[in-house]
Amino acid sequence: MEIDASAKWPVLAFFGSALLWLLAGGVLQLIASIQLHTPAFLSNCAWFAHGRLAPAAQNALVYGWGMNAAFAFGLWLMARLSAITLRHGGWLFVAAKFWNLAVTLGVLGILAGYSTSFELLEMPRFVTLLLLAAYALIGVWAVTTFSIRNTENVFASQWYLFGAAFWFPWLYAIAQVMLFKAPVRGVLQPVVNAWYVHGLYGLWFIPVALAAAYYFLPKILGKPIANYYLAPLGFWWLACATAFAGGSRLIGSPVPVWIPTLGVVANFLLVVPVVIIVLNLFGTLSGSYRALSGSVTLRFILLSMAGFVLASVFNLALSLRGLAEIVQFTLVTELRDWLIFYACFSTAMFGAAYFMLPRLTEREWRSSAMVKTHLGATVIGVVLLTAGLALGGWQQGRLLNNPEMTWGGLTQALTPWLIARTVGLGLLFVGHVAFLLNFIWLACPCCSQRTAPAQFQNPADLELPAVSSPNPPESPATEGHP
Amino acid sequence: MKNGLALFLWVFLTLALSWAGLLLTAHRQLGGLAQYKDPADETLYPQPMSGLADQGRLVYQDLGCVSCHTQQVRREGYGSDLARKWGSRGSYARDYIRDNTVFFGSSRLGPDLRNVGSRLGDSGQPGEYEEWFYKILYAPQSVAAGSNMPPHAFLFDVHPVAGRQPSAKALKLPTRYAPPAGMEVVPTPRAQALVAYLQSLKDTYDYPVEKSRNAPPAKPKEGGH
Repeated sequence: MEIDASAKWPVLAFFGSALLWLLAGGVLQLIASIQLHTPAFLSNCAWFAHGRLAPAAQNALVYGWGMNAAFAFGLWLMARLSAITLRHGGWLFVAAKFWNLAVTLGVLGILAGYSTSFELLEMPRFVTLLLLAAYALIGVWAVTTFSIRNTENVFASQWYLFGAAFWFPWLYAIAQVMLFKAPVRGVLQPVVNAWYVHGLYGLWFIPVALAAAYYFLPKILGKPIANYYLAPLGFWWLACATAFAGGSRLIGSPVPVWIPTLGVVANFLLVVPVVIIVLNLFGTLSGSYRALSGSVTLRFILLSMAGFVLASVFNLALSLRGLAEIVQFTLVTELRDWLIFYACFSTAMFGAAYFMLPRLTEREWRSSAMVKTHLGATVIGVVLLTAGLALGGWQQGRLLNNPEMTWGGLTQALTPWLIARTVGLGLLFVGHVAFLLNFIWLACPCCSQRTAPAQFQNPADLELPAVSSPNPPESPATEGHP
Repeated sequence: MKNGLALFLWVFLTLALSWAGLLLTAHRQLGGLAQYKDPADETLYPQPMSGLADQGRLVYQDLGCVSCHTQQVRREGYGSDLARKWGSRGSYARDYIRDNTVFFGSSRLGPDLRNVGSRLGDSGQPGEYEEWFYKILYAPQSVAAGSNMPPHAFLFDVHPVAGRQPSAKALKLPTRYAPPAGMEVVPTPRAQALVAYLQSLKDTYDYPVEKSRNAPPAKPKEGGH
C-alpha cells in the first residue's frame, strides 16, 4: 500500500526511539522504585538521588516513549484515514532527531541537577525551544496531512488526533511562559502545573489512545462503531470537561476553594463522555469477543479500554472530598496518572504497533513466544500494580490520617506494597524487552528472516493481526459510519 | 464535523476557555496578593528568605525533594496534618508569596515539610537542632528509625582529620553510622544552604484576614485563602 510505504521510515524512526526510551525510562524507574524499600541502593552518587531519578524516569517515559510512540502512531493513522501519502518524510526524520536530542538533554539535565521541580516540566529550560521546534515540525505534518485529505468524511479517530495535535503545544507553551518566562507568584504556580499535568494526560495521551481504539475495533472486527452518532458528543464533552478538570488535583490545598471545586464538577461531568465512549467501544466489541483470541492488537486494545474506564473511575474517586482526604498524597494519586499513561495509553500503542509494523515492513513478527511474553507480562503487571498501588495507597492514607501512627511504623507497613510495585514494574520491563527484541528482528534491514529458518514459525501458528483480521478495506476512512 | 476550520476553532476554544476561566481568573484574584504589615510590630509578613536559605531552595529543587515531600498543611478537620504537628494552622495562599518556586508536592512518602523549621526548633538548642538536619541528610536512620529516606552522603565531605584542625561542623554520629577512626564528616556548602532553607520553613504568623475567614465557628470553609 502506497500510504504505508510513505510512512514506513518516519514511523520506524519514531517507534524505534520510543522503544529505546521505554527501556531506558524503565531502568531508571526500577532503580527509583527499589530505592523506596532499599534506600541505600545506588544512593552514593548525586546523579542517582531518588529525587532526581524519579522525575528523570517519568520524563523519559512521558516525553521519550509516550510522545515518540504517539507521533509514530498518529502520523501513520492520520495518513491512512486521510487516504493520502505522508509527503517529504525526510523532514520528519529531522524532527525525530531534534525531539530525541532534546529529551536526552532534558533527562540528563534532570539527573545532573538542573531540574525545575515542576511535575512533568522538570526538564531544564534550555530544552524547551528545541522540544517545541521539533514538535512544530511533527504537528504541522499531521495537520497538513489532514487538511489535504482525499476523503469526504472525517472519522472519530481523526478528531481526537487533530485535537491532540493542537492541545499539546498550547498546554506546553502556556505552562512554560507562566512558570518560567514570566512566572506567576505563589500558589498560582501549582495551579498552572496542575492544569498542565491534567491537560497532558487528558488532552494528549487519552485522545491518542481513543483514536487507536476507535480505529482498530471496527477495522479488525469488520463492523461499524456502535452508536456512532453519539461519538461527536462524547468527543466535545470529553475535551471541554477535561480542560477544566485540572483543579481537582488541588483538593484541600491552600488555593481559593473555587479552583478544586471547578475541577471536581468537571470530573463529575466527565461521566457522560466516558459512558458514551464505553457505549461506542464496548458496544462494537460486544458479540465479537471470540475475535479476541485471534488478534493481539485487539487484546491490547481491550486492555487499553479497561485502563481508560479504570482511570476514569479513579479520577472520579479522587474528586470525592471524603475519599481524597484519605488517599490524596498517597500511592493512589500516582496510580491515577499511571493508569492513564500506561494502562490506557501505552497498551493502546502496543496494540497499534502489532497491527501497523508488520504492514509497514511487510514482514511478520518473528517470535510468537515473545509476543505472548509481552502480552502476558503486561496483563499481569497491570493487574499487580493496580491492585498493589490501590490497596497500598489506601492503607498509607489511613495510617497518615492516624496521628498515633509513627513514621517508622507507617514506612514499615508500606514496604510490602513498595516491593510489589518493584515486582510489577520489573514484570512490565520483561515484557518491554521481549517487545524490543521482536521489533529489532522485524525492523532491522540486516535481520533477514531467512537467516534463521529454525526459529521461523508457520504464520498460521503465530498470533498475527495480519492473519486474524478480515481483509481490511483499502480506504478505511468511511468505516465506523453506519 | 467535516469542516477542518470549524474543528480547529472549536479545539482552540476548548483550551482557550479553560485557560481564561481557570488560570487568568485565578491570576486576577491572587496575582496581587501582598505581604501583610502587622500593626503591632510593624513588620511585613511573610518575611523574605535569607540569601543562604534561597540558595538552599535551589538545592531542594535540584535534588527533587518534592518527589516525596509536600509543603502544604491541610486545614483543621481535613486530614490529620495538624494532629501530626505539621503546623499550627492550615497553610494560606499568602504564605507562599515569598517562595520563588512553590513546592506543593503531591506525594507524602515522606512527611510534610512546610513547617519543618518551627516544628523542631523549640528544643532551645539551635546547634543541636541544626545537627539533626545534617544527620537526617547524611544517615537518615541515625535519627529517624525505620525511615526509608535514601541517604544523601554526597552532600558531605568525608576526609581524614590528620594534618588539619578538626572542623567545628563535623557530625557527631552514633558508632554504627560514624566514619572510620581518624575521619570526619563535614557538610559541604550545598548541605549548609539546604539546611538553612529547611530551617527557614515556618509559617508561624497567623494573618488576621485569613484567620477570620478560616475560623471554624460556623461551618469551616475549604481551601485556605
